[in-house]
Amino acid sequence: MSHIVIDQVNIAYDKPDGGGQFVAVDGAELTVEQGTFVTIVGPSGCGKSSLLMAIDGLVPVASGNISVNGTKVSGPGHDRAMVFQEFSLLPWRTVVDNVRFGLELHRWTKDDPDERSRRFIRLVGLGGFEDYHPHQLSGGMRQRVGIARALAVEPEILLMDEPFGALDAQTREVMGNELLRIWEQDKKTALFVTHSIDEAIFLGDVVVVMGKNPGHIKEVIQVDISRPRNTEVTDAPEFTGYRRQIRDLLSDEIDDIRLVEGADD
Amino acid sequence: MTDTAIPQSRTASGFPFREWLGRRKVVSTISVLVFFVIWEVAPWIGLVDPALTSRPSLVYVAAVDVVANDNLGRHIYVSLLEFSWGFFLAVLTGVPFGFLLGVSRRVRYFIDPPLMALYATPRLTLLPIITLWLGIGMESKVVVVYIGTFIPVVINSVAGIRGVDKSLTRLAHSFCATRNDIFFKILLPGSLPAVMLGLRLGLGRGLLGVIVAEMFVAQEGIGYQIVAYGSSFRVDYLLVYTLLVSFFGYACTILIRRIEERLDSWRTSSQWTGGV
Repeated sequence: MSHIVIDQVNIAYDKPDGGGQFVAVDGAELTVEQGTFVTIVGPSGCGKSSLLMAIDGLVPVASGNISVNGTKVSGPGHDRAMVFQEFSLLPWRTVVDNVRFGLELHRWTKDDPDERSRRFIRLVGLGGFEDYHPHQLSGGMRQRVGIARALAVEPEILLMDEPFGALDAQTREVMGNELLRIWEQDKKTALFVTHSIDEAIFLGDVVVVMGKNPGHIKEVIQVDISRPRNTEVTDAPEFTGYRRQIRDLLSDEIDDIRLVEGADD
Repeated sequence: MTDTAIPQSRTASGFPFREWLGRRKVVSTISVLVFFVIWEVAPWIGLVDPALTSRPSLVYVAAVDVVANDNLGRHIYVSLLEFSWGFFLAVLTGVPFGFLLGVSRRVRYFIDPPLMALYATPRLTLLPIITLWLGIGMESKVVVVYIGTFIPVVINSVAGIRGVDKSLTRLAHSFCATRNDIFFKILLPGSLPAVMLGLRLGLGRGLLGVIVAEMFVAQEGIGYQIVAYGSSFRVDYLLVYTLLVSFFGYACTILIRRIEERLDSWRTSSQWTGGV
């Protein structure tokens, strides 16, 4: 059985002016196998974050169905954990207390939450910073805390919504390598939303390319690049091939934007 | 003895005079001393009328007399009791009320017009009607303090709840938080700095309320004494009571600031440690 099945999913939001609904995702179809690293790439407004939020259960689907292990998703659950773009750390809590926050909410009893939090802080390379507050950390360090918090609750599925979107290019590359290092250890099912084509290819077994107006899945591409990967693979010919393919798919999207903007004028 | 400080601007005598003069405490103390000296000397040299300004030395003599013979304890007791009850009840009811308004949009829309009307009304215009209802005893003053403190406490508690980062509540939902979790682990700690600001603002308004209300309708209390000495032109005695109020307000403000700083350490002290 596939781990995640997304079946004819539509997601819609009420427009802020009250004038009907805005379709964020239209007819999305996707199956994700156990232990696959899936990346979702597309322009702003293609509904990639909405789709991820719907899988987490934070956003309801208007029609269609999302199921995890054959069970319909109706809200957030212990089997999924999310890493947010804006880090979403509690500023009044220290690093260790932030990581423990997820365990507290899950009413974790399998082992000592404090010990466990410290173990995951070391895993993401933040040993020694346990008692710091978020404002004392750099962006990359903050997102390491966010990743530790998500991993500590032992989710089956790790959801990441542009987790490196707020970081500079160098930090981003370091964090991508770090994420793969951690992921290789137990190869959880992972969904990773990004707008960087290179990041999507570098991390993913599968790249889901999305388009907009309304948001939809354009293509699902299998990435046949062996693991473990390091930064060098980004120069390999197969990598540049994937890059060209995805860029071509997305170039239509940019034209679309221009047309729509022209129509508005 | 070893001196660990780095000598920067030592004078010939070896004492770092310029550095010493730059310190906040030193400058502030000098400022207060200069003020007292001018105040003492100005009536002597005929700059101001001593009957209207008095002098620090006379105020000191009056203070000694007030402590010994003016039933000071009773007046402090009355004012402090009125203030404390009003302030205590305002915080006790205002914080939960503000939280309720912050959480529920419907309640907020319902309560907003009367609350804003009360906010915009100078409290002392309510004094006559409060006096009619409650008489000139302690109760009317407690109510004046209550209204003065309640409003900033409510408004800042609402702002505190509403100001909590929405992404944090979403985070909590993602980790399967209950309604209680969201309130106690996100909204309550997140709004605390704003609540404390409300308390600090409410303190000033409450203090003003008790003194002014006592000036108009009372038979005892600090405000009553200030008016009594004012109308008999006893500036030195009047100033003893005025300084007492200033000192009390100052001390309370410092106390709340300290608490705020402790609660707020995650926000105020900022230091980046480096690293990715």
